[in-house]
Amino acid sequence: MKVNFSKSEKIFLLIFLVLYFIIAVWNAGYVEFPESSGLVWQMKIPLPSIFGVLNPMTVIMTSVIIVLWILVSLKFKKHLSKIPSRFQSAIELLLSFIYDLVDNSIPVKKLVKPVFYFSSTLFLFILVSNILGGIPGISVSPVNNGLSINFFNDTWYSPTADLNTNLTYAIMVLIASYIFAIKHKGLKEWAKGFISPSPFMLPMNILGELSRPISHSFRLFGNIAGGALISLMLCYLTKYTIVPVVVWGFFGFFIGAIQAYVFTILAVAYISAQLE
Amino acid sequence: MTDFTMAQAVVQAAKYIGTGLVMGLGALGPALGEGNIGSKAMEAMARQPEMVGTITTRMILADAITETTGLYALLIAFMILLF
Repeated sequence: MKVNFSKSEKIFLLIFLVLYFIIAVWNAGYVEFPESSGLVWQMKIPLPSIFGVLNPMTVIMTSVIIVLWILVSLKFKKHLSKIPSRFQSAIELLLSFIYDLVDNSIPVKKLVKPVFYFSSTLFLFILVSNILGGIPGISVSPVNNGLSINFFNDTWYSPTADLNTNLTYAIMVLIASYIFAIKHKGLKEWAKGFISPSPFMLPMNILGELSRPISHSFRLFGNIAGGALISLMLCYLTKYTIVPVVVWGFFGFFIGAIQAYVFTILAVAYISAQLE
Repeated sequence: MTDFTMAQAVVQAAKYIGTGLVMGLGALGPALGEGNIGSKAMEAMARQPEMVGTITTRMILADAITETTGLYALLIAFMILLF
């Protein structure tokens, strides 16, 4: 297979490689391990109980990604045409890939479109936030008094490396699957599913339902947060020479894309299991 | 390094031993599962070489799901070390 790049693509790739190379040289021999790297910046807000702590980086990066996708979708809508441009066909390829996935696994034809909107939104958000975890950028970590802002010795903070984000999405998937099931089957028929073989199975069924969002969210969290910690450790062991580039690329792009896909495919599978 | 009392030293040693055990035993299951997935995928590819693309994608997906239990073990190991 021969791949032809246009001139602008070559320039873009060259800039990307040079940037990575500069970062690698910049960080070469970074013997000092930053005091508090790996810790999360937390902020106390005056609210009672468990709602009293906030992770500002999660909020900031989440809003950045939301704004990014709003801009992309506005641009997509503005230049919509019968003969697709390169940008339009890339987005269409991505969305039709998810549409085929949903279309193949949802048994009710009427609900294919709502499930598609739901799951493609999840996929796009998680994909971008995982990939941000593979791009070197500005990271903020707490020190004794105040914050230390590090440039290019760690990746951007990925919102999916925070369990709160993942658990929110997993619970959202659970509630959405119930809503779809109630809409399709009716409340009575849906509630009957909990005592399906016999009423004695009710506790087992409830436990099974509750364990679903936990395994669903911990899978994504473990991959992204574990990858971030492992790459931090490997960067320290190799004194920030060439290795970080490879490790960030592997954990951010490869594992991140696979895990975004796995999260989406499991969400669709959970919804379709409720509809049967 | 500060001075430890005997009890603290025992707890510290037990933490390290427990972390090693968690990672070792936790990596065992996913390793067996992924080996199984890989061998079956190879068999399928040898039987139907025209399906290589599809089978590779599905194989990577199944690997990602199988890996999860290993990652739970990694999280537990980190929690033992940090707390």
